[in-house]
Amino acid sequence: MTDVAALARERTQLFHDVLDGKIPKRVPVFASFPVEFCIQYAGKDLVEVQWNHEMLEEVFDKVCRDFYSDMLPVNAFRLPSFYKLLGARNFVMSSGGFLQHPEVEGMAPEDYDDFIASPYNCIVEKILPRIYSELNTDLNTKAIAFAKAFKAFYDEMGYLGMLYGKLTQKYGYAVVNLFAGFTEAPFDFMSDQLRGFKGISIDVRRIPEKVEAAVEAALPLLIKAGTPPVVNKNDSTFIPLHMAPYLRGKDFERFYWPTFKKLVEALAERGLSSYLFVEQDWMRYLDYLYELPENTRMRFEYGDPKLVKEKLGKKHIISGFYPVSLLKTGTKQQCIDKAKELLGILAPGGRYFFDFDKVPVTLDSINVDNARAVLEYVAANADY
Amino acid sequence: MADLQALTQAVGELDEEKVLGLLREFVATNPGVEETQQVVNACQQGMAIVGDLFEKNEYFVGDLIFAGELLTAAIDILKPVLGGGSSEKVGSIVLGTVEGDLHDIGKNIFKSMAEAAGFEVYDLGIDVPAGAFVEKVKEVKPQIVGMSGVLTLALDSMKKTVDALKEAGLRDHVKIIIGGNPVTEDACRQIGADRFTTNAAEGVKICQGWVK
Repeated sequence: MTDVAALARERTQLFHDVLDGKIPKRVPVFASFPVEFCIQYAGKDLVEVQWNHEMLEEVFDKVCRDFYSDMLPVNAFRLPSFYKLLGARNFVMSSGGFLQHPEVEGMAPEDYDDFIASPYNCIVEKILPRIYSELNTDLNTKAIAFAKAFKAFYDEMGYLGMLYGKLTQKYGYAVVNLFAGFTEAPFDFMSDQLRGFKGISIDVRRIPEKVEAAVEAALPLLIKAGTPPVVNKNDSTFIPLHMAPYLRGKDFERFYWPTFKKLVEALAERGLSSYLFVEQDWMRYLDYLYELPENTRMRFEYGDPKLVKEKLGKKHIISGFYPVSLLKTGTKQQCIDKAKELLGILAPGGRYFFDFDKVPVTLDSINVDNARAVLEYVAANADY
Repeated sequence: MADLQALTQAVGELDEEKVLGLLREFVATNPGVEETQQVVNACQQGMAIVGDLFEKNEYFVGDLIFAGELLTAAIDILKPVLGGGSSEKVGSIVLGTVEGDLHDIGKNIFKSMAEAAGFEVYDLGIDVPAGAFVEKVKEVKPQIVGMSGVLTLALDSMKKTVDALKEAGLRDHVKIIIGGNPVTEDACRQIGADRFTTNAAEGVKICQGWVK
């Protein structure tokens, strides 16, 4: 037990050093596998396990045992129970058992004025009933549906929190929570949950002033959503970024950046770093990212790691870039060589921890032997 | 007679007000079918400009989505004067997001650009089982089958769909194109598709090449 406790202390120190901008003893490794991958890896049925959270302990334990990581490598971000109880249209399980986010339009173009006047009221009164069929009914029935869904939500999340704690102790993982809070950039929130990708793309051209006012109006809610009740040292709020790569530069500058920057700054004022999943290719926007508060954590999917290190490496914390697709198609040696190459570019000077460019969503999206080999290679060969 | 060049340019610039204004003026002159066809062609040329600007990284996905919307609005205005014969189709495509995947943004962009280029598109929607592709191909006998997906698991379903087309003896009668985030040359080979793309504009060009 003391060995595990010492291991946990050492690993926690690695992350604290990196996240504080100091050079750690070695490059920490953070592998993360989503619930669907873990269930398939454990040889269980996707639908059955996602509906029976008690089965997750065995499933997660197997991944923790078999893949090297300095931080808890498993998570179930969403489970179907609470979405199903609400009759959700924004998160739906496909025929294969994968919970997905189909394009939804919970907010109509005519709703902008209401939304701008009071985003919260507009969401509760108009938008939620359109996204969640069980809330589209009379007040009493709606209240019961809501209560049932939240009971399920807290049961699931409470169980998961307990399980994460248990596995963290068992395997001596670093005690740093990169997902202490969760929120979205205002423009992404408007796009993903309210107007849809299509709707927002049209609005940007047809009613730009309203879009601009709406993201401003949504900002306070999203700051609040992203602020956890308790903030521990080096915890962060996770912000998965979505729409920027699909916008023209001038649209990004007008609709996306100003409120996103304010969001990250407001969280920083509350003692929270932001942990950004920089999805797709943001190379056009590196000068903007530089402006964010020091030590913002950024996990990159695509782009040029050299350029990112050069432009952001002295101010922010970088991770990602390791192509999950290579784990599927490459030989073991090619996979290790890629890790070597990325360490050579990103590790010098610290402010870097190792991670894949995205999570492997299914078991057969990677060759697991390659994944194991890469994680073990980095853990053993990245001392400073 | 409408100013076709101005129309093409306005579509290329995604200037909705101008495009719809020009078309309304045009329709008010009670034009003939042939004249209307020229106007449709001018719009299609404008869409080709949009595709080029996308490839040059001047337009992005959001702009393509808007372009599709603009074209739908344009055709709605032209409908009363298009006549029953409407336009000659250059070819037909059976299209869908494959089984297990619920994403359709990319598919819809491709659809609107393919329609703009004069294809008849039969859209089967999302989470489409292999059998549904086979049935539709039997029914409408398209030249092309387009399969879309965002998740890596879509690759398996694409392969299953190609296999089902083979089994039904239909594979050799169609060209197959796959599109979406996870598709690669390797995947294309394994799946047994003819071509792959992650770029809707390029996908339409590939299809045009096939029906020439």
